[in-house]
Amino acid sequence: MSKGWFLIPLLLLNLNAQAEDWPGEQWSSSPPPTGPAIEALEQYAFVPRDDATRQGIRTDALLVIQDGRLVYERYAGPTDAHTPHLTWSISKSLLATVFGVAYGEKRFALDDPAARYYPPLKRHPGMTLADLFHWASGLDWQEDYEYAPLNSSVVAMLYTRGSHDMAAFTAGHDSFSPPGQVFRYSSGDSNLLAAALKTIVGPASYADYPWTALFDPLGIRHATWETDASGTFVGSSYAYLTARDLARVGLLMQRDGRWGDRQLIPKDWIAFSREPFTRFQAGQDEAVPGGHWWLNRAADRTIRPWPDAPPDTFAALGHWGQALYIIPSARLVIVRYGDDRDGSYRHNELLKRAMAAFAGTVQP
Amino acid sequence: MMRKVSLTLMAVLLVALFGWVWQERVALRAFPGIISAYTAKEYCSCRYVMQQPAEYCRGYVKQSVPTNDFLDTPEAKRITVSGLGRSHSARWMGERQGCRLE
Repeated sequence: MSKGWFLIPLLLLNLNAQAEDWPGEQWSSSPPPTGPAIEALEQYAFVPRDDATRQGIRTDALLVIQDGRLVYERYAGPTDAHTPHLTWSISKSLLATVFGVAYGEKRFALDDPAARYYPPLKRHPGMTLADLFHWASGLDWQEDYEYAPLNSSVVAMLYTRGSHDMAAFTAGHDSFSPPGQVFRYSSGDSNLLAAALKTIVGPASYADYPWTALFDPLGIRHATWETDASGTFVGSSYAYLTARDLARVGLLMQRDGRWGDRQLIPKDWIAFSREPFTRFQAGQDEAVPGGHWWLNRAADRTIRPWPDAPPDTFAALGHWGQALYIIPSARLVIVRYGDDRDGSYRHNELLKRAMAAFAGTVQP
Repeated sequence: MMRKVSLTLMAVLLVALFGWVWQERVALRAFPGIISAYTAKEYCSCRYVMQQPAEYCRGYVKQSVPTNDFLDTPEAKRITVSGLGRSHSARWMGERQGCRLE
């Protein structure tokens, strides 16, 4: 009798595990949805593409995962399901996810000085890894792409003075503030982390670490992550994944770092990723920085970057309209790749229409 | 009198200009290299990492600043681009490593 009672929770747990969908080699999919809400979503995302002027919204891929199943997928332009698309700054959040695995292996602590793992930073002894994850190194960095190329630190880092050793180039910047005090978005901060990872996991493991730690366990078979000439991953900018594979990282994040029955990343790492940086002030960026992820909530509750999306929405965002949105409360993961050159694309509008099309359509 | 004022003004502007050039000397020296490096690197990744058609990739990397020479060597997966008097090459290193400026 007592044995029988003991088995019931196990049985329930088992049923629960079976009810949860996870991708195998492929995503399991549902029949493509139709209706006015889907049409409204497509009218926004897939306007006729103007390749001559490159004006307007130019979506390359839109993919929606709900409850671990592929419920919507559409491509445009030259991109298809097999294209490893440039993610630009989504790479930063991928880097943080890779760090999450190393965190689970107890290889570092967030309040460790960054200089412990990247000695050229010894001029800045107060700078911690957490400060770098918050884009709050205090280094005097100028993050502009096309509009101010002369003084853009990021253009110099990627293409000219910094391209051989991006972390060293970043570490050579002076400070404008003590570390940890002020948010200033910086691709340099991300590449300092990418360089620190080399010491954290050891140079012998480093070149394969994103694959062994993250991509392989998730079943991601074709990822590219470019390095600079010193062998440091361009953690700020140069990871390439198919939309379907990026969605796997989204599902990992949606489910608090768990992949199947394995807790790949500790829950407290996910909590750090999703915790708003308290020193962020309204207007400093288009969304609220967490630990190298972007959030729809801030310590100051009046700040809601995407008012039509739930407050628990978080995202990895990249240049020219790349986005990985995760909405745990709606059990949604959305990948949007694009080639937007004029900044007219709005995250809130896409999220609003995606919520209308998908939220509440599947009951658990 | 007017002439003296304009000469003084000119001198002040020249000093300011030289001051600015001196202050920005590092960035100014690197500046002409941006377009060829950008085009070589991003074309290489478009063509050999994202595996897009050559014609699409030429449009993808197009910027308002023109480039003059463009050489893609498909056997070596290497691209050399010149523009504003500078030349840069990028090469595909492998499936995981993608492209890198040389």
